[in-house]
Amino acid sequence: MARVVVLGAGISGHTASLHLRRRLGKEHEVVVVSPNSKWNWIPSNIWVGVGKMTTEQVTFPLAPIYRRQHITFHQALAVAIHPEGDDAHTSPYVDITYTDPARSGQHGELTYDYLINATGPKLNFAATPGLGPDGHTVSVCTPGHAVAAAAQLGDVIARLRAGQRQTLVVGVGHGTCTCEGAAFEYAFNVEHELRQAGVRDLADVVYLTNEFALGDFGVGGMTFTQQGFQTTSKLWTESLFRERGVRAILQAHVERVEPGLIHYEQLDGTRNTLAFDFAMLLPPFRGADMTAFDAAGQDITATMFAPSGFMKVDADYTPKPYAQWRAGDWPATYQVPGYPNVFGVGIAFAPPHQISEPHTSPHGTLIAPAPPRTGMPSGMMGKAVALTITDRVRQGAQAHAHTASMATMGAACVASAGTGVRTGTAAAMTMYPVVPDFERYPATGRNAADTYGEIGLSGHWLKALLHYLFIYKAKARPGWFLIPE
Amino acid sequence: MDTADAAIAAAPLPTAKTVRDRTNLAVQAWRFTAINLRMVKMIRKGHG
Repeated sequence: MARVVVLGAGISGHTASLHLRRRLGKEHEVVVVSPNSKWNWIPSNIWVGVGKMTTEQVTFPLAPIYRRQHITFHQALAVAIHPEGDDAHTSPYVDITYTDPARSGQHGELTYDYLINATGPKLNFAATPGLGPDGHTVSVCTPGHAVAAAAQLGDVIARLRAGQRQTLVVGVGHGTCTCEGAAFEYAFNVEHELRQAGVRDLADVVYLTNEFALGDFGVGGMTFTQQGFQTTSKLWTESLFRERGVRAILQAHVERVEPGLIHYEQLDGTRNTLAFDFAMLLPPFRGADMTAFDAAGQDITATMFAPSGFMKVDADYTPKPYAQWRAGDWPATYQVPGYPNVFGVGIAFAPPHQISEPHTSPHGTLIAPAPPRTGMPSGMMGKAVALTITDRVRQGAQAHAHTASMATMGAACVASAGTGVRTGTAAAMTMYPVVPDFERYPATGRNAADTYGEIGLSGHWLKALLHYLFIYKAKARPGWFLIPE
Repeated sequence: MDTADAAIAAAPLPTAKTVRDRTNLAVQAWRFTAINLRMVKMIRKGHG
């Protein structure tokens, strides 16, 4: 009998645990550890943040699903990994602290044969003073944050209706943030709601970002072929900003936020302020702050994790200049060096470098979007690792690892720009591969036939379809495994 | 730095027909099918 412990129940961890349970016999145990009691379809938090969906529509309790699937569930936070065991444990194990109200604060230990770290991001609001729900801005990172954002947006719309001019700022709250696509979506959903409310003329909407150019999205931008011409996601995005009257501030690192005032530095070294009545700024991410110890009890956290808290896997982490970055630097099996039974997937793995070219201001401030790891790549990583573990449980440790490199996989991204069955809009984009490979595709780093973008109502329908489809899949309803990641 | 606003101001606007087509139900039903086929092709490539 083998025990597989999955830390995290987000898109990557949940996908891995469902595939493991489906493929492994009942004599093997699949254990999930997550501090959250509910699963969340994060892409739809955007719609919660403008009051168009409720938290119940984007979440569901995990425990009943895991009970039905015969997966053991611990509502707990993973705090330390002991990949070699120790004097008191012959098997490797993880330390957990329960967040389940019935056992809150209690300590536990879980031994494992295989471990998947899918702990996702820690929302690092603390990196920017004054940022976040405990500071002076709102967020849409969690359903609770999004509900609070919608309430504040409602207050702004009420003031606009009363004839008061308002400035709404949407973007990212640090020079090294990721998920610019989500910030873009929220900016345009807010703009859409202001138009629907008939108050757009009194509102200034500003997109504040660390991207070098619009349309970068943390993936270095894209090149599309449209009507016989190559065009860039930069021009395409700028056109949408012009059409919708949204201002943009680029290449920005937010230094601090005071009530109603954002202080930011730009790449040219200038330091500026921006007054606001409403600000939704995403935080930078960190790893989940776990520690690790070897058999002698020595701290090996720095061996297993990058300084960012993300787990080191089979990537090439050799520091090298941007010009020497290669698609082959990116991990494929997500196996942790030295510990072939430990894997890091989804947002939990440490990327070898950014995808967008990083820049530094004259003051030495790094302004560089971190690589996004959206649902589709995260799900594919989770599935690949589940298949690897299944093969190794059945065939032995020599079984070949399955791969899911971001340099050989594509991604579909549907960025909502407003909701409504007849009035909605979204930018539907595909790119292949996610990490540009200039050796295979010298012109743009990506396959031109598979890198594509289109704006329209059909994109909104697609995003709505994905919402229902992936919640169905995550609930492990009949045939869930037929829906691709 | 106002280069972003300058670039936005210089960006091409969609034609009236393009804007209409973006919400035309018949056109969008076709585009919905086309985008889905494109995504399925790309997903199969990625999962391969």
